[in-house]
Amino acid sequence: MIALLTGLLSTAVLAGGVLSLAALGEVLAERVGVTDLGVEGLMSLGAATAIMTVIAVPDPWLGLLAAIAVGAVGGGVFAFAAVIMRANQVLCGLAITFLGLGLSATIGHSVAGMPAPVTFAPTRIPGLASLPVIGPAFFAQNLLVVPIYLLLPAFFHWLLFHTRHGLNMRAVGENPAAADAAGIPVVAIRFWYVVLGAALAGGAGAYLSLAVIPSWSEGMVSGRGWIAVALVIFAGYRPFNAAGAGLLFGLITAIGFLGQARGWPIAAPVLNMLPYLGTLAFIILPVLFWKRMRQVMAAPAALGTPYYRSVR
Amino acid sequence: MKGPGGTFMTGYGRNTDAESAARGQKHGSELLGRRSVIGGLGAAASAGFWRPKGAGAAEAAPSRLFSPIAEEDALIAFGHTGPITDGGWTTAHDLGVQAVRKAFPRLRSVYVESVPYSADATRIFRQFVAEGAQMVISTSNYGDFIRDVADRAPDVAFLECDGHSVSRNLGWFYITHWYASYIIGIAAGLMTKTGKLGYVGTFPIPSVYASANATLLGAQSVNPACTMNAIAINSWFDPQAATQAASALADSGCDFLCGITDEPAYLRVAESRGIKAAMWNLGMRQFGPTAYVSSVVLDFSHFYIEQVRQRLNGTWRAAPHFLTLSDGVDRDAWGATVPLEIAARADEMRSRILGGYNPFRGPIRDNSGTVRVPAGVVMDDDTIYQWDWGVQGMTGLG
Repeated sequence: MIALLTGLLSTAVLAGGVLSLAALGEVLAERVGVTDLGVEGLMSLGAATAIMTVIAVPDPWLGLLAAIAVGAVGGGVFAFAAVIMRANQVLCGLAITFLGLGLSATIGHSVAGMPAPVTFAPTRIPGLASLPVIGPAFFAQNLLVVPIYLLLPAFFHWLLFHTRHGLNMRAVGENPAAADAAGIPVVAIRFWYVVLGAALAGGAGAYLSLAVIPSWSEGMVSGRGWIAVALVIFAGYRPFNAAGAGLLFGLITAIGFLGQARGWPIAAPVLNMLPYLGTLAFIILPVLFWKRMRQVMAAPAALGTPYYRSVR
Repeated sequence: MKGPGGTFMTGYGRNTDAESAARGQKHGSELLGRRSVIGGLGAAASAGFWRPKGAGAAEAAPSRLFSPIAEEDALIAFGHTGPITDGGWTTAHDLGVQAVRKAFPRLRSVYVESVPYSADATRIFRQFVAEGAQMVISTSNYGDFIRDVADRAPDVAFLECDGHSVSRNLGWFYITHWYASYIIGIAAGLMTKTGKLGYVGTFPIPSVYASANATLLGAQSVNPACTMNAIAINSWFDPQAATQAASALADSGCDFLCGITDEPAYLRVAESRGIKAAMWNLGMRQFGPTAYVSSVVLDFSHFYIEQVRQRLNGTWRAAPHFLTLSDGVDRDAWGATVPLEIAARADEMRSRILGGYNPFRGPIRDNSGTVRVPAGVVMDDDTIYQWDWGVQGMTGLG
């Protein structure tokens, strides 16, 4: 039973990391009031870049860095259009997704299907790795797991909710006009956090192609970017919740497959539906039973609206 | 997602960025189309909307001969179900296209990747006809989306992979992959220690039933206690889901994985878990040299060249074709860690099948224990092609 739980959690942690990291990036963008629907494309671009980099120079960290850089550049293009030019955020995001998917297919064509020469191999963290269940799942996998689930969410949680700068960020997302009046640089904050969020999406792509699959093929992201966007809403725009949501989604998916593998008397299509049913349930139930959740989990008030100082 | 007409622009060779992007969006639904999943639904809608009254008359008509074409005047069009870089199914078909190009250097050939299972398919096939293609080959099942075009273009020869209907100018072809699976199953039955095989399936459809059942029957022929746990991941190409499915199977005690996905994700899981795996589509040993046992290898080159040749010299007729063991489908050369005596025992069955033996003979029970194929009865290829139940010892798969 312990072995089964360990296996289940390990699979969930490994696969959920893609969602967690991408969702974390999206939390940053949405907290400052920008809906970035380009995540799917940026992840794809990051995944392709990472593989191409490690094939040229066999160092996974360099691959990750390249993917983050490419994500940031893609995010910069998006932020220029959506924040500085104030174009429609939804359309710009979709354009970035199309661009990212197409571009990654084109530049990654020559390396498609090739195994990654180097990967983020499992590494045991001394001491912590011998904890029961949690040890093998979190502290004996690749070295990105701890940053994704603990360090980055902790840092961004601290930044958002325990610093002056975080208060400014949230103000920009809630009421950019008031923030502007208070002297907060609205456009700069929006621009740079969208870029940072996009960089994390690129990193999620690298995590996918260097740690989970390790290889690149067109269409490999298979909609996980969209799920990450949805998880942000589910997570109430909070970093730790976003990381947890990715893990939970990975866990429910893993349970569905385990059910099929063990021949539980539930139809396979129902088990395949579990992640989606679970997400619905987790979104609806808390709000039904705990009214305060509606405020706690609410979206930033200015989410999705470009800021015009002239119509303040 | 796909703008009207947008697909046409990609008629020659590579797709545009926007096209690839749109494709990624619709990935699931497109790949769903392959090998008849929602064929019934699509067919019903398509027949109602598209087929002119009276077109059904073509069904009864005998196949016809087409006039010969000079090689330099010929245009052969291929509609692929996925990207040619998928490393599996579509790559295998693309190797066939390349073989055709090599065999007929003066002939023109075009292909479109990731043809969706929707009315867009009809539009793409119509575009092929409008471009002057004398022969259109689809590398997956498009049901009435292709039938509709074929009925309206009687002078063009159509071939549909995994199709089910034959008309005057539309034939189908499919590989008898179940024999290769049976041979690999024998190796699986001899190599497994837990007696539990894991199957990473895609959709509960006949191709998948035939593949899983054949592997299990092969294993049971040498190790009667063998069972198989199957998972349907609801996609032909989703490495993340396949990885999770394979991990779940390994966690449940399976020590030999097989499947039918378009990519090698579960081989990597097997490699890292120290268990064995047999693959599909192409040889994939580079993704897990220790775990690799063999693969159901597809080779459409000979078939494609032959069909194109017949079309060029005017002897082509619409017909159903099964590509047989050693001529279109085979087991891959055995993996480095397969013991010689096990390989020899499996290959003994391969020789018998090549000699005309059919291992799919009764009694075969389904997973509730009911005898579905009585003793003395042999399942022929047409029956296996329609297989829709799991054999005894199989769990999962719908």
